[in-house]
Amino acid sequence: MTLLTTLARLEAAVSGRARPLSRVRHCRLAAQPLVIIPLTLAGDPATPVAAMTGTSRYGQQLLVVPQPHSRDLRLGFLVGLARIVLGYIADRQNRTEVLPATKKSEERRRFADAPQVIVPNQAARDYLGLLGRSTRFLPTDGPYAVDPAVPSLGKWLTFLADSADHTGAALLADLTSLLAEHWASGQSPLEDASLAAQLAWIDPPPGMTGLQAALATEDPLRCPPAGPATDPGFDQAILEPLVRRYNRAAQAGKRAGVDRATAEITAALKGQLEPTWDAVWRAISLLRALPETALAGRRWSADKDSFTRFSSYLADGGLPQPRRDHAATAAARLDRLERAQAAYDTERALEDPFVLAELRTSGEAFAGEVVSAEPSRTIITAAGRAVLRPRFTVRTGDPVRLEPGRVLICPAHHRQRVQIADLTRTATDADVVLEVVQGMGTPGRPTPGAVPAIGELVSFTPDPGFFAQRDFPPPEQIPWTHGGPLVRRAVGPGEETPS
Amino acid sequence: MQEPLDALETRIAELRRAIRGALTVREQDRVRELRAELRRAERSWDALVTPPDRPEEDRQGLASLLPAREQVHQALTLLGAPAAPKLIAAVHAAFFAGQLTPSRLASLRRDEERSYRAAPGARPYYLCPALTSDLLSAARALLCVSTWPLEQRIIGPLSPRVDFLTAAIQIAEAAPSLSGAATGSASAAVDRLLRRFAMNIPGAGPAQPGGSVHAETIAAAARAEFDIHFARDHDDRAQAAVRARQQLDDAEQLFGARLAAVDDTGTGRRLPGPA
Amino acid sequence: MTATDARLDSLRGSTEPLSFTARTIAALTANPGCVRRALMDAAGADKAALATHVGFPQRSGASQSPFALTRGGIFEAQVKASGGADLVRLLRDKLGLDLPEVSYSDLESVGGNTTKKVRYRRTRALLLRAARHPDQAGTLYDHPMLRLQVGGHLAYLEPDVVAFQIQGKFHVVEVKSFAVIDGQADEESVAAAAMQAAAYIVALQDMLTAESLSASAVSTDVILVTPENFSPQATATFIDVRKQVAILRRQLARMARIGVLLDELPSGLTFDLAPDPDGNYTRARGELASALEVVPARYQPRCLKTCELAGFCRDEARAAGALTVLGSVVRDDLGSLDSISTALALASGIRQPSADQADIARALRYVKSISDTLAGGTV
Repeated sequence: MTLLTTLARLEAAVSGRARPLSRVRHCRLAAQPLVIIPLTLAGDPATPVAAMTGTSRYGQQLLVVPQPHSRDLRLGFLVGLARIVLGYIADRQNRTEVLPATKKSEERRRFADAPQVIVPNQAARDYLGLLGRSTRFLPTDGPYAVDPAVPSLGKWLTFLADSADHTGAALLADLTSLLAEHWASGQSPLEDASLAAQLAWIDPPPGMTGLQAALATEDPLRCPPAGPATDPGFDQAILEPLVRRYNRAAQAGKRAGVDRATAEITAALKGQLEPTWDAVWRAISLLRALPETALAGRRWSADKDSFTRFSSYLADGGLPQPRRDHAATAAARLDRLERAQAAYDTERALEDPFVLAELRTSGEAFAGEVVSAEPSRTIITAAGRAVLRPRFTVRTGDPVRLEPGRVLICPAHHRQRVQIADLTRTATDADVVLEVVQGMGTPGRPTPGAVPAIGELVSFTPDPGFFAQRDFPPPEQIPWTHGGPLVRRAVGPGEETPS
Repeated sequence: MQEPLDALETRIAELRRAIRGALTVREQDRVRELRAELRRAERSWDALVTPPDRPEEDRQGLASLLPAREQVHQALTLLGAPAAPKLIAAVHAAFFAGQLTPSRLASLRRDEERSYRAAPGARPYYLCPALTSDLLSAARALLCVSTWPLEQRIIGPLSPRVDFLTAAIQIAEAAPSLSGAATGSASAAVDRLLRRFAMNIPGAGPAQPGGSVHAETIAAAARAEFDIHFARDHDDRAQAAVRARQQLDDAEQLFGARLAAVDDTGTGRRLPGPA
Repeated sequence: MTATDARLDSLRGSTEPLSFTARTIAALTANPGCVRRALMDAAGADKAALATHVGFPQRSGASQSPFALTRGGIFEAQVKASGGADLVRLLRDKLGLDLPEVSYSDLESVGGNTTKKVRYRRTRALLLRAARHPDQAGTLYDHPMLRLQVGGHLAYLEPDVVAFQIQGKFHVVEVKSFAVIDGQADEESVAAAAMQAAAYIVALQDMLTAESLSASAVSTDVILVTPENFSPQATATFIDVRKQVAILRRQLARMARIGVLLDELPSGLTFDLAPDPDGNYTRARGELASALEVVPARYQPRCLKTCELAGFCRDEARAAGALTVLGSVVRDDLGSLDSISTALALASGIRQPSADQADIARALRYVKSISDTLAGGTV
């Protein structure tokens, strides 16, 4: 958390309402995201109780497992969820688009859209990953066979959950994290994990402060938790007795009793999920009101590529993702994730004054006045050619923590790249000598505007291209037919003990 | 007749909400009252929902002809060693017709002891607890048949393991004879039972997790480990039986010593009884 | 009873002291710097009742779901069935337990007597005998009862199982029902289990050293038995709890010196709820709140998950404008400042910083100027 965000939180605490942070949205929000709100049974891993899903505010679907310990009922739920998720994904495989050939790649096709799953919070995100883990290895033949839609669902959920580790990917988004990027509440980050509490700070009901509204959301009777964990008081007073009643009816073979118990359980769970459903769509509309940045669109293109690659991996008979990475894959993955994080931060700085301001306070970007310039500075290369290498000096009061050699971009001038040639500090300022290394033109034809004028106010942030993503797919997604470097042992049907 | 059920369900939902509210502010008395009312309402619901003209049937379509104590006796005779209610129920489900739920066993021990004291020896057998070798008192949650010799009904430190292996041998030997007559769910129950033994006895298990289990393999492996512990366990039990015959009366030899005081060494002293 | 005990009793008031469990002992280490909590726990006060009566009932983490409790009970029973067959398998596979080591003693009831005192005496007798004569010792002790001195009280603790004869040491075995998936489990759950196990280990060590036996006979590796992946099959994982044992011993030592904290309190201070014959609390709410406020607390947002009084302390911290209400990161960043209003006053330049506030004040003023520029629309 930067000091800038901390200041905003201090101000929010005093004013009683959340303070806005970033005013542009860096994450694509699909026109029709698939919202999933899962509820799970306490005490057992990946034992779903219910899920509310839908692609718009009205017309939600509710799936329920009236006896959560019943394997058959759970599989029925998973098949239902699979139909919804796989159907949603299939809808996004209807249209393709053509990317023309470039210097580095041939012409290729990819899907024109990609799925976006939205969940209320990080715990729900992790839960979908857990469901993916618990289902993608289930056998489709033999004595414990399940409907093939279920392991297929598992592979997709795992794909989505893995993609969410990659900062900047929007295939699986959780709302508490997104909201926290744009508003600073006056409470602690721990309390921000509650979607209802964050919304209360951002948009309290008339007549209440954000704090009052947030405190009211802590009463589980008025505001059921967003899940996946259910409220223990609800479990104790409502759900557990109803499940027991279901059991009694089922064991005695009373069809009517089973049906009525199911209806009651469904109604009770609906009551627990609907307030969160409303909160989710309120949050989505708050986020939609913010303008989306151009680079968000480019990251979404990368998501489309990732979606296309995984779809074709599955179409080639893709095995379920392995349980654990081999050492080489793990290292490569970590490297990718770190680069993605760094690239994401610097890309956002180019489009978002708030993020730029944050980087300034932490010394990773700076702004100031141009105090001297050498627009015509030329050097002779080893080959004997004269090339333009203009220089100028910026004086800044920011606590610059960048070293000479770093390549930077000015948000207002994307075509130029500059490099820090020298940096001298006084008690209050730093003088940064910058050399234009790209986009300056030639000595005969210098590019106008490549060098700022003396007295101009400029800002610079690290070049995201420094952290550029490589274009080829990650190793574990290279199908074996393409001679991928790592060969996986096939995971046979009998290898996961059925629960 | 839907309306009474609807009203009842509405009432039940109201009661539940009220209980939850009362729990939140910790009004214990009110919670108790509400819960009692809720139980009454639920019983009415149960009664209303059952169509009155069909008799109760168990899952396999056979009426439970035998009383619970007979069913337990059947299972224990097959097992041949003291066993816990859960194992007894599992064995019964695998090998015998009719339902035996563990909850029906809960009051069995106490009922059996009362029946014996009311008319000792009136019944051909009684179901009684196992006795611990150190204090000769009733062991928790283990049932035996009274007609077994005392040595078989006393457990020493190694006996839980030895009895587990004995049960494995008995079940494994009985399993093949059942395969001809077994129906789908019963054979699944046998398989589950065998698998549980197979997983926990070295050399008995399937080659791969989830692979098939073989009764002969299990029996052989169980016998091999049984041989390791048998001698010491046999001695423990025999010595304890000697003491039991000296110190306990007939009722206590079945149902365990009544312990009065425990001294600082943690061992028991019996109240001096009639000489 | 000592003078300290008498004062703790009067601090608590007329209700019976809450007895400690391993879980509540582990919770003592959650916020060692909080005097309010330390006094409450030492006195055995019912924090949940106090919190409710003073208007801040605990909302989250108040109770455990019945599903989780039932699952825990079922899993534990399954692991321990048939002389601990599952456990024997795990100990053989993972710790190389010798085949003849299968002896099992159930300490849940001593000849029908299930009182804690009796079970403790029997446990102590058997374990000391095992320590003195390892060649005659048993292997598994189920439902043992241990004892630990906590503040002024003796707490009875019940580990799941204590195993012996593994490398000649006693091992604490904890059976928990949260799953280990692909070798990993929920960190919070594991940390909680580790701290609870540390309580058992300290109790065992003290039991041995009181008899001039070596505490090193108690292993500081705990055997955690949990379901594996998504099946009820049990697996065992080891946790090294040396650190937790050290932390707990430090906290217990502080509890033993609780008299020092009591000295600083005004005489007559009490948290008594004054129940009437029907059990209704008659202590005036405002008065109770004032009494609580006399004793300093150290609120942090984490308390909301671990302490029943957190709502009250949070409200108090908020009213004082304390930085800790915003979380540990903010509090650490602005560590030398005492309140939200101070920080804002320094940021806007209204207040002049003292010498040790100079650096943070400069940073805050700088950040405020950037923030103002942002709000103004220029970069």
